[in-house]
Amino acid sequence: MERRTVSEGAEGSGAVRLAEAGLRDASLVTAARDGDRTAFGELYDRYARMVHGVLLARVPYGAVDDLVQDVFLQALGRLRSLRDAAAFGAWIAAIARNRAHDYHRRSRDEVELTDDLSGTDAEDRASSRAPGGSHPAPDAEAASALAAIRSLPEAYRETLILRLVEGMTGPEIAARTGLTAGSVRVNLHRGMQLLRARIGAR
Amino acid sequence: MDRKDNSDYLWDGSGEPDPEIQRLESMLGKFAHRGARPVFPAIVPARSWWSRIGWPMRLAALSAATAAVALLVASAIWFMIHRSRRIPAPIAESPSPSTWQVARLAGEPRVGNAAIEGQSASLAPGQTLVTDGKSRANITSSDIGEIEVDPDTRLRVVQSSSDRKRLALDRGVIHAFIWSPPGEFMVDTPSATAVDMGCAYTLQVDDSGAGLLRTTLGWVGFRLDGHDAFIPAGAVCATRPGVGPGTPCFEDAPLAFRAALTKFDFGPADQRASALDTILAQARKRDALTLWHLLARVDVNDRGRVYDRLAKLVPPPPAVTREGILHLNPAMLDIWWNQLGLGDVSLWRTFERSWSQSKVAQ
Repeated sequence: MERRTVSEGAEGSGAVRLAEAGLRDASLVTAARDGDRTAFGELYDRYARMVHGVLLARVPYGAVDDLVQDVFLQALGRLRSLRDAAAFGAWIAAIARNRAHDYHRRSRDEVELTDDLSGTDAEDRASSRAPGGSHPAPDAEAASALAAIRSLPEAYRETLILRLVEGMTGPEIAARTGLTAGSVRVNLHRGMQLLRARIGAR
Repeated sequence: MDRKDNSDYLWDGSGEPDPEIQRLESMLGKFAHRGARPVFPAIVPARSWWSRIGWPMRLAALSAATAAVALLVASAIWFMIHRSRRIPAPIAESPSPSTWQVARLAGEPRVGNAAIEGQSASLAPGQTLVTDGKSRANITSSDIGEIEVDPDTRLRVVQSSSDRKRLALDRGVIHAFIWSPPGEFMVDTPSATAVDMGCAYTLQVDDSGAGLLRTTLGWVGFRLDGHDAFIPAGAVCATRPGVGPGTPCFEDAPLAFRAALTKFDFGPADQRASALDTILAQARKRDALTLWHLLARVDVNDRGRVYDRLAKLVPPPPAVTREGILHLNPAMLDIWWNQLGLGDVSLWRTFERSWSQSKVAQ
């Protein structure tokens, strides 16, 4: 069984909008392949929030901005290998997940291994002490809420961050990531239940 | 506050706002993407066949392409509109989200002794889905996942509670794509239990009760009486009645390696030593998966050999010592596993604890 590339949960008109969005992506990808940098810039505008959310679900806040640029640069270099231009969203989401995985693999290679192998909390603490990016340092309550989301299972973590942090709607998340609307809806609902329980328990 | 309204607000921002979600949105918005569009490097277009042909040919090709695109657009819109009618009811509106819905794909699958009336039916705990040689079915649950059931299969629903969903595959083949949280969905077979850790996999059981699990996404745990096997994407693991799960290996492992592994796991005792020789000699770096499992499965006298070979392929982290591994120190084994980059074993340990607690509670 394969992960589907179109939103199943949209109403008929929503499905038409998604088809139109897919066609717009396809034409932007084609234009970018032909050397049109503005077209690739438009793809960035359409997908940067999603890529940012996918990364924020997996790597420390302070590292996300740089990785977003990395992901788009990787995508730019590999654009010709994308077979289905309309599937740009699912494709770049996969690049972002791989980039996050690679980030942790390299961190493990460089940092002496401790019992806490993820190192995420320590890195987050470090990045909140010395924020190098353009964001303001987050307050403690917001950081605690983000940490609660990041403690959830991966599927819930990513979907909730896209919804609550990046401000995307469920249908948008499905359309941008290539997940089914049914899966996104389930992940949002179950993830929110778990999040309420965890925030309540703190 | 009305539950549906809250659910709609979470879904697409419509309906009555949920104050807690609004508070989270406003608080967490600080972390949202704000970066301006960077200046991307110049893109060098590939010189294609298109630029090498003349205008008459280009016009002809363009006409054909336009017609094809129009056809594609119409097909895509038709396809999506029709697929959107087949979605399961949203979880918030479903009276029992853990209920399995059976859909007939081919032939005459049966729930118990009854044929499925129409195209679909429910499958409740205690009920069995049976397909004959010509039947296929699909079962879905909005909060668990989707399973395709091949011909000649017998699949029972054992449990459907909020935190534990359990099926039993008596015989046949299922293809599972699971989105429930890791550790909540399990499939019992006559010789091991497959525990989903966020994945897609195929599980088959023959008439003797022997099984084979093949993971295509994420990873799956296979266990019997505390005898565990972790099977990441691209790997397979066999299981036999009375023995339990064998040692997992990647499907692209050399043939001689896989044959030796089968001999080691399920062959006569006097062939294990020579089988182990072959496994160690043939192992590639990727086969660290298999060697890590073998540490706990070989005789104590052979453990040092396995350690040495594994250490050569994937050097152990500083916290792991030869002495500790020879004594099967659980923490060191876990640390080394995590070093393989195949998934975080602490997830599995967490669920292991919750399973033992639920067993005690029962």
